[in-house]
Amino acid sequence: MSTGQRTERLRDELEALALLADGMTIAIGEPAPMAMVRHIIRRGLRNLTVIASGLTLDMLIAAGCVKKTISYYAGGGFGVPVAPAFRRAVERGEVSVWECEEGILTSGLEAAGKGLPFLPWRGGVGTSLPDVNPDLKIMQDPIRGETLLAVPAIRPDIALLHAATSDVYGNVQHCGGPGWLDLFLARAADRTIVQVEKIIPNEQVRADPWATTIARADMVLRMPYGAHPYYSRGYYLQDSALLQDYVAAAAPDDGRRLEQFLDCYCREPALHGDYLERIGIKRLLALHEY
Amino acid sequence: MQDHCSISELLACFLARDLNDGEELQVGIALPIPEAAVRLAHLMHGPNMELIFLGARMNVHHLERVPLPAFGWDRRVVRWTESFSDRGHRFEQVKDWHRRVFFIGGIQVDPYGNTNLIGVGSDYQHLKFRGPGSVGTPTLTTHVGRYYIVLNSHTPRIFVPKCDFVSTVGWGAGGADARTRLGLPGGGPKYCVTPLAIMDFTEDEKRLRLRSVHPGVSVDDVQRQTGFPLVVPAEVPTTALPSDEELRVLRERVDWVGALRA
Repeated sequence: MSTGQRTERLRDELEALALLADGMTIAIGEPAPMAMVRHIIRRGLRNLTVIASGLTLDMLIAAGCVKKTISYYAGGGFGVPVAPAFRRAVERGEVSVWECEEGILTSGLEAAGKGLPFLPWRGGVGTSLPDVNPDLKIMQDPIRGETLLAVPAIRPDIALLHAATSDVYGNVQHCGGPGWLDLFLARAADRTIVQVEKIIPNEQVRADPWATTIARADMVLRMPYGAHPYYSRGYYLQDSALLQDYVAAAAPDDGRRLEQFLDCYCREPALHGDYLERIGIKRLLALHEY
Repeated sequence: MQDHCSISELLACFLARDLNDGEELQVGIALPIPEAAVRLAHLMHGPNMELIFLGARMNVHHLERVPLPAFGWDRRVVRWTESFSDRGHRFEQVKDWHRRVFFIGGIQVDPYGNTNLIGVGSDYQHLKFRGPGSVGTPTLTTHVGRYYIVLNSHTPRIFVPKCDFVSTVGWGAGGADARTRLGLPGGGPKYCVTPLAIMDFTEDEKRLRLRSVHPGVSVDDVQRQTGFPLVVPAEVPTTALPSDEELRVLRERVDWVGALRA
């Protein structure tokens, strides 16, 4: 007869997020795990290095959480070429950028996952990227003598991800495939926390093990509608109107509407359930995937 | 001209004609003209084209209307997707990208088609304008068979003698072997299209050359709005207008919301 019991990895949202601390390097997947992002803003974490893009990155910058970003893209969408808080903070020198692009970022993450000091990459050769980011070294490859970039390992303290389902042991299954960076982030990070729409039985995981996209997530959180206002495939569509509200609030330089937005949607709701109540059942159900 | 079609429609039709059946056409975020162009080409003459919007690869030739990818990556786009091309297994098959066609914008462009998405200013630590970042353009433009530079305006602030920062290498320091010398396997930029003109690159020097001017625009207009001397051939034709059929398909089956006419 065996002794002991397998440890569950399902956690309460506050318990899991107590793990996050000022100064950490935090990687954020896509679609963004917004319920956890809102917790970061609510707690007012400071001096983070954030791997993220677009408006998710922008909200964290707007809330004053970010010291440095490893970002390949900070567009605003909706006709705004550059995310507004990102643009202001970088131009004023309040946030520094580890300048990169998608192939360089994934190379750095893969190097971390593989336990290597660096991986070579070609995209970026001949550009200003190694000039403005001195961590990218121009190298001669020892096999064919070609000029390549050596991208150092990028190893986040924690990856925060959103997915469709998981069992209580952290066997995560995305619906319709993972977001494009998620698996790179999970492999590279020291720890991975995944919020999911639904907790499923272990037996359902075993029915299709090949569908398990992230094995042994350190913690899983049950956060239905947790990616809102972003989409969650298999569940709901993107709530573009709320993202547009954010862009409109962040655009003026005075910060007044921006603070109102962050208070309303991030700081005042204490728990994810409170946020969903504030958004309202009608609005959430209207996003139901067709 | 104005009552016939808009400049954006003209550019979409020009680009669509230059795309061939069987090609993989990748369009990134915030590029409405290429977005329309690939969908128009797909319907007009490309039943075997593969459209890749933000990594979602689809063939939607059979649809009466081709879905807009403008809302990103949720079910409204993904329902037509056959695979996530290289997303999730990012950049694992760049060796085959010579079949692929790509499009980029830019906040600066120099005479050799090098472009900048990083920012404007002499000091990287104190930029006058912070750009959105390079997205995946350095890697894509390094490897794809050819790409197009598509700009929403044509001014001396965009067309500069030298980019403050280079995020994609077009023809580097110039010369037909510029890319080979840098070890960049892709074919480089083919055309640069703007609201004033279509430009290509000279064969030997790979310098920007005026290819055609849009109706109502003179060669002098274009040169005045360009911050360096363009190569100007003796004859500069007017950009060919879309056919009635192209405009009909564009307006009824691709851009039925009229985004290119706004």
